[in-house]
Amino acid sequence: MHSTEWSDEAFCRIIEDFPVLNREVNGKRLVYLDNAASTLKSSTVISKMTDFYLNHYSNIHRAVHTLASEATSEYEAARDKVARFINAQSEEVIFTSGTTMGINALVNSLVRSDILQKGDTVLISQVEHHANLVPWLRLSRFFGFKVEYIEADVTGTITPDSILAAKSRVNSPKVVSITGQSNVTGQTMPIDVIRETFKDAILIIDGAQLIPHKQIDVKALDIDFLVFSGHKMIAPTGIGALYGKRALLEKLEPFLYGGEMIDKVTFEDVTFNVLPYKFEAGTQDIGGAVALGYTIDYLENLGLGNIQKHVEELSKYLLEELSKIDFVEIYGPKDETHQSLVSFNVDGVHPHDVSQVLDEDFGVATRSGHHCAQPLMSVLARGSHIDFPNSTVRASVYFYNRKEDIDILVEGLKYIKRWFG
Amino acid sequence: MIYSEFIMDYSKLKKFHGKIENAHRIEEGKNLSCGDEVTLYFLFDGDKISDVKFEGHGCAISQASTNAMIEQLIGKTKEEALEMLKNVENMMLGKDFNDELLGPIINFYDVKNYPMRVKCFLLPWKTLELALNGEGKEPSKE
Repeated sequence: MHSTEWSDEAFCRIIEDFPVLNREVNGKRLVYLDNAASTLKSSTVISKMTDFYLNHYSNIHRAVHTLASEATSEYEAARDKVARFINAQSEEVIFTSGTTMGINALVNSLVRSDILQKGDTVLISQVEHHANLVPWLRLSRFFGFKVEYIEADVTGTITPDSILAAKSRVNSPKVVSITGQSNVTGQTMPIDVIRETFKDAILIIDGAQLIPHKQIDVKALDIDFLVFSGHKMIAPTGIGALYGKRALLEKLEPFLYGGEMIDKVTFEDVTFNVLPYKFEAGTQDIGGAVALGYTIDYLENLGLGNIQKHVEELSKYLLEELSKIDFVEIYGPKDETHQSLVSFNVDGVHPHDVSQVLDEDFGVATRSGHHCAQPLMSVLARGSHIDFPNSTVRASVYFYNRKEDIDILVEGLKYIKRWFG
Repeated sequence: MIYSEFIMDYSKLKKFHGKIENAHRIEEGKNLSCGDEVTLYFLFDGDKISDVKFEGHGCAISQASTNAMIEQLIGKTKEEALEMLKNVENMMLGKDFNDELLGPIINFYDVKNYPMRVKCFLLPWKTLELALNGEGKEPSKE
């Protein structure tokens, strides 16, 4: 049995839909555990995208010919699917190139609209990916707002106490921008607690790591803005989405100016198109957006609940198996809030060397490095009981992984410890 | 297999590890993508490199490379070191190089087949280049 969610037959069909899983790497079956960086691609989604490009593609919106009409309806259908996926209205969904662009766009739009002003405070956390840290830090210099942090403990975990401590220090931040799940510690964040604690703040959620395996209901969680990428949930690279509450989006100045986003232009002034087009200047990644729609069809067909349960089971197994190895140091929380990925170190062996041997001798793809979270590495170093190499190895799972993949990882780690001594 | 006996042995060498208190030149090198860091300390005797030590941490490839490089540098002139550096880089780029000038550095030849690891190997060499060609860092007065 590969999972309790799907029969062996159904699971085999999933595996077959990802051809690269049937290829060998260095003479071994590929064990892909780098899903937090980007997921593999599905034959089903790619062939539907190919069919769209080859048989229905043209530019969207303006022309009256048949292809333009077909392409426009597929593009807008994709928007409807994203909206349904996160429980939003279609006009609240804007296509972007991904999470990084989404956050950069938001920071810029918030300051251009005078919503975020000089003297205001933006609260983020110490576990943010550089994409949700650097834009705030840099633009705070130009526009005079302040950046404060919810502090992580020495395991890199955000605790209820640290949220309360941030509340008493900052009181009423204008913006709270937090990851839904850390790409280093795997912690899924208590979005409801953060919302409850900062009732008046504009709440931005970086959904990049969370949304591939856990449904995010923007209405139930009262999220003001949500950004995420398609490529971490089997869609192609270069496409993502930004959700914003209608009332806020209406107040926001666009972050890109150009074609399609305007209503009327004279030599003196301009008025903008309605939502969501106001934020979609220039020719969009039409094929990517359409493929993101097919991806959502695909995930819904597998069952979002099934995907979540499968990832939860694998995460638990991954954490348990790694915890049994005495020379492995694990970062992040020890409970069920730790999902889909585990960062760790093999005592005395540099993460690059661990990842290299896992690939070369075991066909296991993992990631090593600082995972675009350099400040967090200094936090983990403080809590580390080994000679901390300023980076970690990270293994991450998705719905096409199985327990056997984790067994191979563990076998590899034991071999590496023996080899490097 | 990238981890030859030579690389494993040299990655564990301790004798070049440390700081030179009255160093004539100090140079810091960084690999941005992985966070590996190396600081090289140089003592010169005229044009000759009389002693080198390093501080820092990194993977087996970068540690072995740093140790092997330092072993070769001691006793060479700056000009000889730069000539060696050029040949080391050419080896990684798959260009012509003079293996007689490389000595045991030839043991890293296979690293060029691992594009993701070339930067680990080159970290100390790039730092050496900065030290000999660049401005360098004023040794601390403390």
